[in-house]
Amino acid sequence: MLLSQDKKPTLIWLQGVTCNGNTHSFLNLSYLELLLSKFELIYLPFMEVKYSFFDISKCSLSCDVLIFEGTFDPLMQRNGVLLKDILIHYANDAKHIIAVGSCASFGGMFKASAPDRNSGLLYDGDDFIGVLTKLYKKVINLSGCPIHPEWLGYTLSMIANNKNIKLDDLYRPVELYSNLSHHGCTRNEYFEWKVDAKNFGEKEGCLFYEQGCRAPMTHASCNKILWNEVSSKTRIGTPCFGCTEPDFPRENFFKTKTNMSIPQDIPLGVPKRSYLTMAGIAKTFHIKRLEGKLIDYKTTD
Amino acid sequence: MIIKQLIEQIEGEAFVSFDMKDDRVEFSTISFAHFRGMEMMLEGKNVLDALVITPRVCGICGHAHLMATVRAIEDAYKNAGFKINLTDKIQKIRELTLIMEMIQNHFKWLYMVIIPELSKIVDLSLVKEPLKGAFSASIASKIIAIFGGQWPHSSYMVPAGITCDPTDIDIVQAQNYLDELISFFEKESLGVSLEKFLSFKSCKDFNDISSDISNLEKALISIDMHHKGFSHDRFLIMGEHSFTNVSKLKHTRTFKVNSKYIKTEEAYSPNEKTYALNALYNDEYYETGSLARMMSNSIPIIKNMHRRYKDSAYSRVMARIFELGYMLNHAKKLINGIDIYEKSITKVENIEKVSAKGIGIVEAPRGPLIHKIELEMGIIKSYKIITPTQFNIGSSTPDKPTPVQLAMKGLTKEEALFVFRTFDVCSVCTTH
Repeated sequence: MLLSQDKKPTLIWLQGVTCNGNTHSFLNLSYLELLLSKFELIYLPFMEVKYSFFDISKCSLSCDVLIFEGTFDPLMQRNGVLLKDILIHYANDAKHIIAVGSCASFGGMFKASAPDRNSGLLYDGDDFIGVLTKLYKKVINLSGCPIHPEWLGYTLSMIANNKNIKLDDLYRPVELYSNLSHHGCTRNEYFEWKVDAKNFGEKEGCLFYEQGCRAPMTHASCNKILWNEVSSKTRIGTPCFGCTEPDFPRENFFKTKTNMSIPQDIPLGVPKRSYLTMAGIAKTFHIKRLEGKLIDYKTTD
Repeated sequence: MIIKQLIEQIEGEAFVSFDMKDDRVEFSTISFAHFRGMEMMLEGKNVLDALVITPRVCGICGHAHLMATVRAIEDAYKNAGFKINLTDKIQKIRELTLIMEMIQNHFKWLYMVIIPELSKIVDLSLVKEPLKGAFSASIASKIIAIFGGQWPHSSYMVPAGITCDPTDIDIVQAQNYLDELISFFEKESLGVSLEKFLSFKSCKDFNDISSDISNLEKALISIDMHHKGFSHDRFLIMGEHSFTNVSKLKHTRTFKVNSKYIKTEEAYSPNEKTYALNALYNDEYYETGSLARMMSNSIPIIKNMHRRYKDSAYSRVMARIFELGYMLNHAKKLINGIDIYEKSITKVENIEKVSAKGIGIVEAPRGPLIHKIELEMGIIKSYKIITPTQFNIGSSTPDKPTPVQLAMKGLTKEEALFVFRTFDVCSVCTTH
């Protein structure tokens, strides 16, 4: 759905059960001021704009773009009003609804606050049973815990520019969620030759085999569009926790589940037999360069 | 007459019920309505999962939660009879990223909260530029991301180490971003060099400069905030760091502390349901955060400020701004001292061998953050979190007011709402 060119789209940012992580991630956006200038800001939780939440909770205003952060709890009240009533009031009139973060997309971390009733706007995990399923055509999911600021920057820019955003099966922009978090990881060569990281705190080795890294199974552009413009989890040696997927949070984040020393979950879309064949061959080689330190400071003294 | 007020932009929201008498606050209670159940969520899980879950308690100070978790786990290791040796490099990098989170918090508080809120109640015209807060905070976040991969919600601290293995270029990048941030602070906030600012001995030194900070200082004085917002004049610092002096202060006298005297109790909130608990030390309420830390470090200008204006709203605000400069300077020393050749992680036993209790205490932006754990073969039996806002923004009875309740007493409603924010409130942490 396109917006008229003659006036700025109006924007409201609502919050459910949240830690504000998406808000603070978004505040890192390098072109934040420019982006915000393209919208008429009706309400933001992080800075004073046209209206306060007191005004918003009366449900007498409307917006073109509704951003929702946090898990949806049908019993949650804000300023004495059911969040459900506030959400549905603004969602009905909005032209675009953006679920920012995995909580708003799939239930995420705070689904566990009240597992029987909390969910994302469209999904509860990967079940399409959320509160806004009737309005699904207007919803864009930006999963991630938290979202990368550029992901919301891209989505809002496309809306401000009247451009159509193509979505995947989980209503996430294909532009942002077609890559795997694995793509662009500086440890890719270790993955290819099956050289695992024996420990944390090292530049060398792949974290997929022992340390629980979910990057080959996770749709995210974390290693394409770097975090805070400088790095990513896997680049600095922390495994990917798969935070953009409907099953986040999983358990045992720092350990790869294996069956007979083969990772239980293998890279997305790769047939198990193909993976095992390839991995078996790669493991028979010993690549000296990959078994040593990446930078040998001793010889450069 | 009871007036109920919704307070926003405090990392979530709270209600304050003011009992007004002759247009002055006679008494107030505070309630936090949104429960999330993080402690319950952690029970039964491998404790290493807490390194991923607890940063998600809070979007603005999640890194402090990560450090509290890793300290609690390391303490449990020690209590189970296993040694934990941290290299100087591990300790310096952890401290650096913790400090950078504090700095991003203070910049946001300054530009997105305090200046806009103060401008509502002063006649002087204050320039409201909230996005200056976001911009400066984003530079601090880059420094965390160089070592932690990302901010918010990094999980790069692990028992006995850190996951990163920085090289010279990482250090150089971090130094450059820090220099950029210091330059921003000097040019955009202070109007003088950081070195000059840190040499200030008296509040009068602000008279010679014209900047965001000097305008803020003048505005505070113009509405008598140096004579308002007084609390108990008791301060508590619990997190052990290279930049703290763990202690409690009663007025200016310093005493030793022990974490065993920290406890929580039900909040008193007769008008609204609240999920917050009050935190006390040895059955007394203490103020925590920047003013407490700067007092305990015997910073000349803060001592001078305190001598003249005690623990007024003015002292509370200016101590936080001074801490920004103090921490930027300290961060510089930390980065320069990192030896990349040292180990990023040291040998540690498998967590499944640990059945013990542990406590992790850090200084978060708002004060002591305490994580207490009990493990059985590495699995969490219980996890308790006490956050700084529980110390500052408790809600108690009139005979035993918490720091914020006392600080708001006797003020107009508008003044009280401003004083409330001088504590820098974190709603999401409080209702973890």
